[in-house]
Amino acid sequence: MTALLETRGITQRFAGLVANSDVSISVGRGEIVGLIGPNGAGKSTLFNLIAGVFRPTQGSILFDGEDVTHLPAAERCLRGVGRTFQVVKSFETMSVIDNVIVGALVRNTVMRVARRRAHEVLDFCGLAARANVPASDLIPSEKRRLEVARALATEPKLLLLDEVLTGLTPVEAERGVELVRKVRGTGVTVLMVEHVMEIVMPLVDRAIVLDLGKVLVEGKPADIVRNPKVISAYLGDRHAVGA
Amino acid sequence: MDEAFTQGRRRELLTAAGLAIVAALVPLFVKDVYVQNIMVLTLMYGALSQSWNILSGYCGQISLGHALYFGLGAYTTALLFTKFGVLPWFGMLAGGAISAVIAMALGYPCFRLRGHYFVIATIVIAEIALLLFQNWNFAGAALGIDIPVRGDSWLKFQFTRSKLPYFYFALGLACIAWLVTWWLEDSKWGYWWRAVKDNPEAAESLGVVVFNSKMGAAAVSAFLTAVGGSFYAQFVSYIDPESVMGFQFSLLMALPAVLGGIGTLWGPLLGAVILIPLTELTRSFIGGSGRGVDLIVYGTLIVLISLARPQGLVGLFARSRKAVAR
Repeated sequence: MTALLETRGITQRFAGLVANSDVSISVGRGEIVGLIGPNGAGKSTLFNLIAGVFRPTQGSILFDGEDVTHLPAAERCLRGVGRTFQVVKSFETMSVIDNVIVGALVRNTVMRVARRRAHEVLDFCGLAARANVPASDLIPSEKRRLEVARALATEPKLLLLDEVLTGLTPVEAERGVELVRKVRGTGVTVLMVEHVMEIVMPLVDRAIVLDLGKVLVEGKPADIVRNPKVISAYLGDRHAVGA
Repeated sequence: MDEAFTQGRRRELLTAAGLAIVAALVPLFVKDVYVQNIMVLTLMYGALSQSWNILSGYCGQISLGHALYFGLGAYTTALLFTKFGVLPWFGMLAGGAISAVIAMALGYPCFRLRGHYFVIATIVIAEIALLLFQNWNFAGAALGIDIPVRGDSWLKFQFTRSKLPYFYFALGLACIAWLVTWWLEDSKWGYWWRAVKDNPEAAESLGVVVFNSKMGAAAVSAFLTAVGGSFYAQFVSYIDPESVMGFQFSLLMALPAVLGGIGTLWGPLLGAVILIPLTELTRSFIGGSGRGVDLIVYGTLIVLISLARPQGLVGLFARSRKAVAR
């Protein structure tokens, strides 16, 4: 079976800056893949390219066997790409349930059905008790959950999680990890950007390390954390000696 | 949870029906023509503001150029009637359709602008249209159009002896504008519009086609506004560019919604009920001096209300949906 997501030779330049250079990755169905790397490695750029926020300078993106390189974000959502934002983008004047309904409307045209579906997703994400609260009243960790709930309501095949676990307390992060496992349990493939290694590594099946816009290494988490190249990218060459 | 929501929606509908019936009975007790005139204008501006609210309140695209659609409605009806003998009822629909098409044609370039730039574009476009009409000879240029009045007729929508038919039509218009909003609020479009207003990028990621959403809102909003303009042309039976396309109309459509509660179901009507009588009363009681004292008083009152309730007066009736849904 073909991979669910494949990027082929993605290069993205912003003015003089090369954010991604010849990035080819693939994500198989049902996997949880971690996209990691130090700040400025090009993770967010790659993410936005996959989600369709902008078009790559070069290269192509295949999703579910089709070339989606030139499709706008809304169309990719329809095809099954769901995403969260690193800086949360809740619909602040709307209630939590209404936020999720916006997502649910992609698959359900009857309002009553969309509303019911949204309630189910909120329940799944542990936000049921907050359904009628304005989104602006949520605490940060709840807002992250809302981001996930909204994306899940679109019933994606691939869920892109952009640092949903970063900046949470250990307890919140642990609950977040559970949620991601639960999501995968429903058959959704997950590609997640994180830079907190100790949280991501136990969770993912495979990790892809980006550095300076290029794929540095990819493989099993256990191998990645011992890889001298990765250690030097994160901590500098001095620490890699003798690793 | 679903039931509470459905009940809340039904309660709103019943409240509206109750208010409409009460409003319909008012003329039985209020015979004063001057007061009736104010009531007609209040309902009309309520309906107009409700229409404005769809694009600017729900979808968040603040327009200060809605006078354009108001004027287009008025002119379409008046021109079709005086030049081609088309009955105002058809003129109303034609005006609505033309305005909706023009709103989308203008939206095509303008919806790429964001925030203040969009607002400025709407003002400028309406001013350009005003100038064009002032110089368009076929439409009477600056002199405007006198709609010949030939006695009472529902067919021609003219009434000379009584204001009541106008009153009931305006009431109907307000009801329709309210109903359309009520219906849209719990529709795919309603959710899309609010999402677009709050965060277009997030909306796009959830499958919302932001551009089309704005176009849809503009079309509905312009259509209803133009119907209001058609009504106004029949009501005053004489129009010229300044009296139907002037900037003050754009403000008078925005203000009730802003004052009452922008992007809310009841805000525009509530705002109109307070604002329009206030406008008329300050004008008649202290406007005679010719020194603009009425405008000073009027402006001061608006400032005071907005300071007291920046989120809109509708919050005073805070049995909000939040409370209902719990």
